[in-house]
Amino acid sequence: MKKAVPAVSGILVGFLAATVFFADFTTQGTSTSATPTGEKSTAEKVYIPFGQQDEYYMFASGGHSGQLFVYGVPSMRRIRTVPVFSPDSATGYGFDKETKEMLGGFRWGDFHHPAFSEKNGEYDGKYMFATDVANNRVAVMDLSTFVVKDILKVPNTVGPHCAAFVTQNSEYLFLPTRFSAPIGQQYASLDDYKTKYNGFMSAVKMNEKTKKLEVAWQVKLPPWSYDLSDAGKKVSGDWAVVTTYNTEEATTNMEINASQKDRDYILLFNWRELEKMVREGKADTINGVKIIDPLKVKSGLYLVPVAKSPHGVDVTPDGKRFIASGKLAPAMTVFSFEKAFEAIKNNKITEQVKGIPVLDYASVMEREVNPENALGPLHTQFDDKGMAYTTMFISSEIVKWDPNTGKTLDRVPVQYSPGHSVSAEGDSVSPDGRYIVALNKLAKDTYLSVGPSHPESMQLIDLASDKMRVIQSAPVDPEPHYAQMIKADKIKTIEVYPKDETNPNAVYQQKNARIERKGNEVHVYGLAMRSKFIFDDKAKRKDTIEVKEGDKVVIHLTNVDFDEDITHGFGINGYDQDIEVQPGETKTLEFVANKAGTFPLYCTNFCSALHQEMNGYLLVQPK
Amino acid sequence: MSKGLSTVSGICLAVAAVLQGISILLPWWGMKFIAPQYPEGLDIVVYPYKLEGRIDIINGLNHYIGMKEFSAATFHELDYLPYVIGAMAILTLIAAIVRKKGILYVLIGLFVIGGTLGIYDMLHWLRSFGTELDPHAPIKISPFIPPIIGENRIANFITYSYFSYGSFLIGAAFLLVLLSLWKERKL
Ligand SMILES: [Cu+2]
Repeated sequence: MKKAVPAVSGILVGFLAATVFFADFTTQGTSTSATPTGEKSTAEKVYIPFGQQDEYYMFASGGHSGQLFVYGVPSMRRIRTVPVFSPDSATGYGFDKETKEMLGGFRWGDFHHPAFSEKNGEYDGKYMFATDVANNRVAVMDLSTFVVKDILKVPNTVGPHCAAFVTQNSEYLFLPTRFSAPIGQQYASLDDYKTKYNGFMSAVKMNEKTKKLEVAWQVKLPPWSYDLSDAGKKVSGDWAVVTTYNTEEATTNMEINASQKDRDYILLFNWRELEKMVREGKADTINGVKIIDPLKVKSGLYLVPVAKSPHGVDVTPDGKRFIASGKLAPAMTVFSFEKAFEAIKNNKITEQVKGIPVLDYASVMEREVNPENALGPLHTQFDDKGMAYTTMFISSEIVKWDPNTGKTLDRVPVQYSPGHSVSAEGDSVSPDGRYIVALNKLAKDTYLSVGPSHPESMQLIDLASDKMRVIQSAPVDPEPHYAQMIKADKIKTIEVYPKDETNPNAVYQQKNARIERKGNEVHVYGLAMRSKFIFDDKAKRKDTIEVKEGDKVVIHLTNVDFDEDITHGFGINGYDQDIEVQPGETKTLEFVANKAGTFPLYCTNFCSALHQEMNGYLLVQPK
Repeated sequence: MSKGLSTVSGICLAVAAVLQGISILLPWWGMKFIAPQYPEGLDIVVYPYKLEGRIDIINGLNHYIGMKEFSAATFHELDYLPYVIGAMAILTLIAAIVRKKGILYVLIGLFVIGGTLGIYDMLHWLRSFGTELDPHAPIKISPFIPPIIGENRIANFITYSYFSYGSFLIGAAFLLVLLSLWKERKL
C-alpha cells in the first residue's frame, strides 16, 4: 500500500503534465489534428516509415540548373538529382568521354518540361524526355538506370520552351520554338523580322534500339512565340495543340508590344497529315532537314483564336477537349476537338494568316470559364473523374472546376504563385486523382532563411477527400517548371550493369588489367574494386599510371563490384578530372597530360571501410 | 549366404537409391551472411558439383580480413563428389535388386564412413578458411572456426550455416537403409 501511493501519484502527475503541455484546447480552426474520425492526420498521410516506399515518383525539371530532380510522393523526399544538360561533378557527368561529347561543350542548360514515354496514352515507365530552352537540345533518359542516353542538338528550333510533348504511342516528341529566328540562326536585321524570321516546330523520333534521337522533320511557322503544348489523346490522338503569343510580331519591349492584341492563337495540327506530306516529298530539304512550309503546301495546320497571350493548353484525359489558360485574361477557354473537326469539315474558316487557315472561334469554343476573383490561370491538370485543376499564378491558388459545366468546385490557396502543377499520372488518359503538386515560384518565409534569394517550393495537395488540402511542403532548388508523376511500380530499374564481354574497354578480371602505350598515347585498361584500383596487374605498383608530359591519356575503368549501390569514383588531384563508375559499369576518361608533376588519384565515392586508402598516383614525367 | 530381404525392404532400398540420385542435383549445405549493410543476406550454397550464391561479393569482402577466396577450383571435392554419390546410389540399387543382408551391412558401413569423412572435410575447410588468414590483411581479427550448423559472428557479419535439401535426402536414404535392416531383424 505504501508503495502504491507514489506510483499512482506519479502517473497522475504524468497525465497532468501531458495535458498541460500537449492538449489542444482550440475548439475550432484548421488544426491538422482536427480530422474526421477514421481519416489519417496530415502527418500520417505523408509519413513513409523505414522499409516502406513512396507510392509515386515525381520527376521535376530543374530549370536553368539543367538537372532533373526526382522526388517520392507523398513523402516529398528528394531521392536523386540527375544531371541532364549541365556537367555534374557528383556523378562525373560531362567528364567522361561519352557524356562530354554528349553535352557538346555547353556548360549549362535550361530544362523546362519533362515528358514520359507513352503507350496507348499511358506512361510506360521506360524513358523520360527533356528539352533545353537555352541551347536547343533534347535528351532522353533511360528509366532503368536514371542515366541520360542521348542528347540531340536540334537545328532551327530556337528555345524549345514549348516542349517536350509526346504523342500517345511515343511516335514523336515535338519541340516548337519560343524564339523566332532566321533559319540556321544566321544573321538578319530585326527590321526584317516579318520576312526573314520564323518559328520552327521539330518532330523528333527516338530509335528504341540505339536509344538515339533524330529530327524526323520540321514545320516552318509564322515568326511568333510558341509557349506550351499538348498532344491529343484517343479521338484526338493524331492531333496536337500549341499556344502562341507575340502574334503582334514585336521585336523589342515584348512585355508591352507582345500584349497589344486581344487575341492570339492556338495552333492545331494533325501530325499524321504532316508525316504523310513528308513521305510524299512535299517538304523542302534545307541543311539536311525536311521542312514543311505552310505557305507552299496545304499543311494540316489550323489556327484557333484565343484570349490574348495564353500560357498552358491541356488536353482532357478523354481527348475530347483542350483547355487554354488565359494568363493575362482571367479565364480558361474550353475548346472541343469534335467541334474543331466539324468546323474543318464544313470549312468554317474566317481568314488565312501566313498560309494557315483560321477557324471560326464560336464554332470551336465550348465555353469560357471565369472563376470569381481567380487571376492568372496558367496550366491545367486532371483527376480520375475528368475534373480540371488550374493553377492561378496571380491569385496564388489552385481552382478545381468541371470542364463539362464550367462550375467551380473547390479552391485551395498555395504559397506562393504556382506555375505548373502536376497530378498523379495527370497527362495520361487515366489520371489517378490521388495527389496534385503545386510548383510554386515563391516560397518567401516558408523555410529557414538562406539569404535574399529563397528556394522554390512544392506543395502536395491531397485529392482523396472532397476538400483539397495542402498536406506537405518541400523546398527545391531553382527551378522546376514542370513535373510528371508516375506510379512507382511502373519503373523497373536494374541493380548492377550486366557484364558486357563484347566491350573491348571493359576489364572484369584483375589479370587483364594493363597499360598499353601507342606512340604518345597511353591506354589504361583498369578496374576498381573495394578498396583499390588496378591499372596494371603486372606492375610493381598496380595502382600507378606513369606518363610523359604531352601524352594523351585514355583511362578505361570498370567497376567490378557487382554489388548493389557500390559505386566508385575516380578523381585526379589537380587535373580537373572526375568520373564515377557504377556497379558493373565501364567508363572512359580522356585527357592530355599537359602539366608535369605528381598527382594523386583517388576514389571519390565513399565505397568501403578502406575507401580512404583507395588511391594511387598519376605521375607525369617532364619533357 | 545370408537370407534374402523382404519385398518391403527392397522397395525401401530402391527409394533410398533414387533419393541419393536426386540429391546430386540439390544443394547440400549453405551459409548465409547477414550484415547491417546486407539485410537481405549474402549466400554461399554448396552443391555436390558446384558453388552458388554471391561468391564474388563475399570474396570481395573477405579479402579485408585476409580470408582465401572461395571458388569451385579450390574445392576439388566438387570434381568427384557427384560420382561418389552416384556410385553409392547404384550400390543401393544393386542391394535393392539382389536383396542380400550382407550388402546391407556394407552399405551402412559406407554411409557411416562417407558421412564421417564428409563432416571431417567440411571441418577442415572451415578451419582452413577461418584460421589461415593473410597476416597482411587490412583488418586483423582473431582466427575463428565457423560451425557446420548454426550461428556465428565475424566482424559485422552474422553467419548462419545450415544443411540443405541434398543432405536431408541423404539422411532420409540412410534411414531407409536402416529401416530395411530393422525390418529384417527377426530373420
Ligand atoms: Cu571506391
